[in-house]
Amino acid sequence: MPAPVIELDKLRVKLGRREILLGISCRLGLSGSGKAIGLVGPHGAGKATLIQTLLGFHLPLSGSARVLGFDCHRNPRAVRERVGYMPESDSFIASMTAVSFLRLMGELSGLPAEAALEKAHETLFHVGLGEARYRPVGTYSLGMKQMAKLAQAIVHGPELVILDEPTNGLDPAARQRMLRLIREMKEQHGMNIVLCSHLLPDVEEVCDEVVIMKEGLIVHHADLEAERRSNRRFVELEVSGNDLNLASTLHQHGADGVSEGGGRWRIVLPLDFEIAGLWKVLAAEGLNVRKLTHRRDTLEEIFLKAVGHIRQTPGETAAEEEVSAHGSL
Amino acid sequence: MAVYKRGYQRYQGPVTGHYTRLMAMPRYAWERLFQQRLMIVLTAVSCLWPLLCAVFIYISNHSELWAGLGGGLKKMLAIDAAFFLVYMNVQSAFCILLAALAGPGLIAPDLSNNALPLYFSRPLSRLDYVAARMMTLIGMLSLVTWLPGLILFGMQIGMANSGWFAAHWHYGAGLIAGFFIWILIVSMVALASSAYVKWRLIAGALILGFFFVLAGAARMINGIFRVEWGSVINPAMAAYTVWCALLGKEIPEGMDISTSLLCLGGLIAALGLILERKLRPVEVIS
Repeated sequence: MPAPVIELDKLRVKLGRREILLGISCRLGLSGSGKAIGLVGPHGAGKATLIQTLLGFHLPLSGSARVLGFDCHRNPRAVRERVGYMPESDSFIASMTAVSFLRLMGELSGLPAEAALEKAHETLFHVGLGEARYRPVGTYSLGMKQMAKLAQAIVHGPELVILDEPTNGLDPAARQRMLRLIREMKEQHGMNIVLCSHLLPDVEEVCDEVVIMKEGLIVHHADLEAERRSNRRFVELEVSGNDLNLASTLHQHGADGVSEGGGRWRIVLPLDFEIAGLWKVLAAEGLNVRKLTHRRDTLEEIFLKAVGHIRQTPGETAAEEEVSAHGSL
Repeated sequence: MAVYKRGYQRYQGPVTGHYTRLMAMPRYAWERLFQQRLMIVLTAVSCLWPLLCAVFIYISNHSELWAGLGGGLKKMLAIDAAFFLVYMNVQSAFCILLAALAGPGLIAPDLSNNALPLYFSRPLSRLDYVAARMMTLIGMLSLVTWLPGLILFGMQIGMANSGWFAAHWHYGAGLIAGFFIWILIVSMVALASSAYVKWRLIAGALILGFFFVLAGAARMINGIFRVEWGSVINPAMAAYTVWCALLGKEIPEGMDISTSLLCLGGLIAALGLILERKLRPVEVIS
C-alpha cells in the first residue's frame, strides 16, 4: 500500500524562542502517484519551516513528520535519499561548471561516478542548459541559476521533489518553461512534487491539491481538481424567448434550474456537464442568451477565504461569459 | 544515442554506499586544489626536506663516506629521535602553509554561495560534511608529513643493522601519531577559519596568524611575566611536547605532557564548537 507523501502528526517546531509550527496534522498525496501538492500561505505562515523540517533541518518540539513513510527526525538519511530539494535562495558552487556541479550533487545522492556524469549532461539538456553546461554556474543569469537549481534537485531521479519558489525572478517565458518542466516531472516521470510558492496562479496551474497555511497552522486543505469541478456547476443565466420548457429540458440532462422570473435562471450543472453543453441545450430550445455567468472560485479566492481576508466568494470576481442582448447560438 | 536526443529519464540503477558518497567531496576538492599552480609548487617544495633527509639517512648509514672526518660527526649523523623531531618540525611548518592555501577554499565558498542546504538535503549529516572536508586536508597534508616520514623510517630500517627496528620502532609509531595529532589540529583550525570568515584571503591569513601569532604571544607572556605557563596558548609548543614524549626524547621545559594534551584537546573542542555553530543548513535567528 503506497505511503502518503507527507504525513504530519501534531507537528510542533520551535526556532529560537518562537514556536513556528503549532501542532499541525495532515496526510498529503500518495507516493508514486505523480501528483503535485501546493504549499501556500502568507509570509511567516511556516511554509519554509515545514519544508526544512521535512528535510530534517529542524528537530520537532513534539509530534512527528514522515515523508514517503520515513520519519524525518529518526531516519533523515532515508528521506533525503528519496528527495530532491530546490531552495528558494541562490544555492550553488559558483566556481564549478554546471556539469561538475550536477555530477557532484548526483554522486552525493548515491549515483556511481559514470552514471552521475551521464545524468548531469542529460538533466542539463532537459532543463535547457545544454549549451551552457561547461560554464561556471556563477556566471549564469538569474533564470539560468533557477534552472540549474532545478537540475540539481532532479539529477538523481528522486521520488519527491520539493520546490521552494521555483519561479522567483523568472521572466514570463522562463516561468512558463519552469511550470512546463514541473508538469512533465509529475506527469511523465511520476515524481511527486511539493511546490511552495506565493504565486497562486503557478500553484493553480500545476498542483492537484493545495495546503494553505497561516500562523503555523494548516487552515485549508483542498483538492484543487474537485474544487474546480464543484465551482463549475453554478451558472447564472439570463435569456429572452419562451423559457417555459427549460426547467424540464435541463432536468433531462441531469441539471437543476430555478427560474427567478424575467428570463433569469440559476442552474446547477452535474459534474460531467460542461458549459458548452448548456449552450447547446439553450440553442435547441431557441432561446437567446443575454447573459451567462459561470462562477468559478479561483485559488486566490480560496486562499483569501482560508486566511480570513474575505468571508465569501465575491460576485465581482466571477468569470463572466456574456453575449449581446440579441446574440443567439 | 546522444545525450541531447535521449531526454531526461529518472535514474533507477544501484546506488553507492555511504563512504563512497562521502569521498566524492574530497575527490572534487583535490581536483580543484591541484589545478592551482601555487598549490603544486608548494607541495613540491614541501617534499624537498624529506629528500634531504633521505640523503642524510643514506650518508649516515654509509660510514665509509665520512670515515676520516672525526668522531664528533658520528654523533651528529646519528638517526635518532632528534633527527625525526627536526623532520617533524620542518614539515609541520609546511603543513600550516599548505592548510592556509587550501583550507579557506573548502567551506567559505559553500557559505558565501549558500550551498550548505544542497549538501544537507542529500544523505549527508553535518558530521559527514566536516569529515569529508577534513579528509581533503588530511589527504593533502599526509602527502608531506607522515607518508614521506614513514618512507624515511623504512629507509633507515633497510639500511641500518637488523637490531635497529626492534630498538627504535617507536620512532615510526611516534611519527604517525604525532603527525596525526598535528594534521588534526591544523585541519580543524583551517576549517574553523574557513567557516568563520567568508573571504578566502582573510581566512588564509587567519590560519597563519593563529599559529605564528600565538607562538609569539606565548613567548611574550613568558618573557614579560617571567613565567612558563604562557606556552599553554601555543598549540605548536603543546604539539612539540607531545612529539617529544612519543619519540622518547626529553620533554622541554614549560609544559608537561598532560597539560599539553589538555591544551590540544581543549583547542580541538573549541574549534569543533565553532564548526558546530557555523555549519547549519539554515540560519535560525533567535
